[in-house]
Amino acid sequence: MTTTMARAVPDGAAAVPGAAFTNIPFSRLVRVEWGKATQTRAARWLLAAVAATTVGLMLAPVLAPSTIDQTFTSYLSYVATGLSILLPVVAILTLTSEWSQRTVLTTFTQEPRRLRVVAAKIAVCLMLGAGAAVFGGLVTAAGLAAAGASGRTLDANLDTGLVIAFLLYVLLNVMTGVALGALVHNSAVAIVLPTGFVLLGQASQVVADWLDYATAFNWLLTGEGSGHVS
Amino acid sequence: MITASALSKSYGIARVVSDVSLTYEPGTITGFLGPDGAGKSTTLKMIVGLARPDHGTSAVGGRPFVDLPNPTRVVGTLLDPSAMHPGRTGRATLGIAARMAGVPTARVEQLLELVGLAGAADRRVGAYSLGMRQRLGIAQALVGDPQVLILDEPANGLDPEGIAWMRLLLRDFADRGGTVLLSSHLLHEAQATVDHLVVISQGSVVASGRLDDLLATTSLLVRTPDTDALSGALDAAGISYLPRPGPDVHRGHGRRPGHPRARRVHRVQGAGASSPSCGPPTRADSSSCSSH
Repeated sequence: MTTTMARAVPDGAAAVPGAAFTNIPFSRLVRVEWGKATQTRAARWLLAAVAATTVGLMLAPVLAPSTIDQTFTSYLSYVATGLSILLPVVAILTLTSEWSQRTVLTTFTQEPRRLRVVAAKIAVCLMLGAGAAVFGGLVTAAGLAAAGASGRTLDANLDTGLVIAFLLYVLLNVMTGVALGALVHNSAVAIVLPTGFVLLGQASQVVADWLDYATAFNWLLTGEGSGHVS
Repeated sequence: MITASALSKSYGIARVVSDVSLTYEPGTITGFLGPDGAGKSTTLKMIVGLARPDHGTSAVGGRPFVDLPNPTRVVGTLLDPSAMHPGRTGRATLGIAARMAGVPTARVEQLLELVGLAGAADRRVGAYSLGMRQRLGIAQALVGDPQVLILDEPANGLDPEGIAWMRLLLRDFADRGGTVLLSSHLLHEAQATVDHLVVISQGSVVASGRLDDLLATTSLLVRTPDTDALSGALDAAGISYLPRPGPDVHRGHGRRPGHPRARRVHRVQGAGASSPSCGPPTRADSSSCSSH
């Protein structure tokens, strides 16, 4: 450790502050956020897991032609489902890791305009989502090629509209991840919430008839007593 | 350079900071002293825009922190050494700070050299000791070549060599016109480093001013086997005192032992009085007190 003050802190310490400097350009914020999201070991493993799962899911329609529809859209839907479960996790973590690692203390002193930071994170997540969608398309193409090579005939019912819809599907799922991460600062809770919402939706369908008692009493007014009174 | 006016904050019903006003000028190191829970960290967070004050305003370089377009070029902050992503390397962490500030990456290498982390720069921050993280935090604060440093307990986790190194670094920074605001609960360390002192307790400022002025008004307890001789010498030197009941205790109000007048008393007295219990070490004469 050096105890001599090498001039690493250059002169200019008495210069006029603040007004002389301009806003941090948005492109720089995006580049920094991209580095944050991809340059840790954990982040790279997560992205690798997304890729591996997508490839793994592709095996299902390829290897089980009797139980799964052999159409282009069905192959794509497997990839889409895989991405919709895992990519939001990546998006959530870009936001919640700032809170769980307490790096908000640094990030928001480097750029106090928090919406710009969040906007940069959204941009990064959209870029990751688009990249994942392209990767998913390539995996689907590979799966279709493998299926075609095995002699099956596949129903080519894919058109550009559906491809764009697939891209939107992936991006929307990524955006829900961003929203949940920004809202709920706890990583674990934010990751579990999408599944929680699905379960809540299904459970509410079961109890819907019981909750909506006004509709349940309707039979008294319409006089259709069958099933209620013998 | 840093001003705060009537800052107040409550968390629920607990009044954490009440009506704190401060002004710090360039070229000074100010210590923000107080026990744990006194409101030091909260006040610092309000100054850098991480906590919203209920009342009051603060400004750095004439503008509120949140209005600065590129704050790291004006203010370097070190608020929590463990607030770093453990999965990133030290070099990557500084690289992020450098890129945000818009300074060339060569500065990262310069700073790693300066804080002595050049060898550990490619290890993950999670593997660093507290002292290493503290030094990385100081490097991160300096990345944008700021004019102001706001440091929350910077000596935390450093060994004595590290503390001495940091003292030199901050002294050099202030001597070249920078402003330093550091909070601490280590009285001796703060006294050796700072020019001004602000003492905060339970959310309010209880004392503030130049260190020399604050310390000059402290009193000194002197034990001596020959109270009459000491009284005579103190009267001759014009130092007011209060003899306390009990065999051999005097209290002298006035200058601290390094001060020329106090020294004169001992020279006149010779062997009559044992040397007074030493006050805290000062920058100027840390050699005059044998107990430190």
